[in-house]
Amino acid sequence: MALHLNLLHEEILEQRQRQRDPLKIGIMVLIALGGLLFLYYMFNAYRTLEIKTRLSAIERDWAKVEPQVTAAQKRSAELTEIIKTTRVLDEYIEKRFFWAPFLQKVAHCVAPNTQLNNIDGSVLDENKGINVSIEGVAAGREPRAAAEDLRQMLVEQLGKVYRDVKVEFKGLEDLDTIVNVGGSNMAMAHYVLIVTFNPSTPTAAGTPAPARPSKR
Amino acid sequence: MSTNLKKDQIKKISLSAMGFVVLVYVYFSFFLGPLNHSRDTMVKAIQDKQAKLDSSKDEMSKAATLEHQAKAATIRFAALKALNAEGAPIAWFPPRIKVFFANEQIDKAVARLENSTTFKEPELASWMRYNWMIDIPQADYSAVGKAIADLENAEPLLSITKITIHSQAEQGEFQTVDLVATNFIQKK
Repeated sequence: MALHLNLLHEEILEQRQRQRDPLKIGIMVLIALGGLLFLYYMFNAYRTLEIKTRLSAIERDWAKVEPQVTAAQKRSAELTEIIKTTRVLDEYIEKRFFWAPFLQKVAHCVAPNTQLNNIDGSVLDENKGINVSIEGVAAGREPRAAAEDLRQMLVEQLGKVYRDVKVEFKGLEDLDTIVNVGGSNMAMAHYVLIVTFNPSTPTAAGTPAPARPSKR
Repeated sequence: MSTNLKKDQIKKISLSAMGFVVLVYVYFSFFLGPLNHSRDTMVKAIQDKQAKLDSSKDEMSKAATLEHQAKAATIRFAALKALNAEGAPIAWFPPRIKVFFANEQIDKAVARLENSTTFKEPELASWMRYNWMIDIPQADYSAVGKAIADLENAEPLLSITKITIHSQAEQGEFQTVDLVATNFIQKK
């Protein structure tokens, strides 16, 4: 077996140790890794730039359309509000109670031997109904019967137009006064009628004026 | 070669490891992280804008359709608005009522404002309810009936909520009439 003598043993060992220096290897690894990360970053940056370009294009498109869209939305909101408001106003107009036809009906019910002194009517809250107080005097051989005729006439006439018609005496009393009607003396009675009803389908198309004046 | 690392080598390996950690941290925190965040934000903005662009066509066609559908309502609304004059109602409503009844051969009709209230309904947020007291000191029953009929027809936004008719003691053929009327008037 040949004998090998290494006279540079120490120098070779030092060189090997330099080559295996962990710090040097670490720096090389870090540089390599840094390069890879940089490449990946550049790839991502390129994609981001591409997306930014797309975003700019879309924003340009949107800037062109936006004023029109905003105006359209504003107009839509305005129109919707107008439609809703008009609907509510129309409902109110349709639900109104017309007093003229009622006054006409009352005038038709008044016979020559009855007289109205006072009519006091009001629309109940939220259009739940109508409440009217009618006060007057009736004359005749049987003045109470004359007042009752008026009450029945009111029930009949108002019942043709309105629902749930109620006409009741709140008061009916004979008076001492004698009145001359058509040349004959007649007794008188004072009455107070309370009329309540629900206005049925309102005659919204128009309200005719009273056709003939009452006895009043 | 000895497999055991020297103290000096361990220090260097530790230093390299720390360098690696710092590199990774800096890379993700200050480079890739913000870049990805910015990209995600832009992607989201693109989606958002794209959705708006897609819906904008619908919005505009919807507005055009609504404009067509609301034609009748718009005309009606304009007509209802035109019923009320410009300015404060207290300034123009009483003279208008006076003239109206004068045209109906009823003199001395006086309208007074009782109160004004707002509406609960959101649709009528821009409208006010005005309650008026209308006094007619002397009128004939049939003339009053005709005038009320004309008033109810001429003023659709007005409704009479209370009516009182008294016969006059001195002149039995005439009556005293008090009306409470509610009128809808748009806020100016």
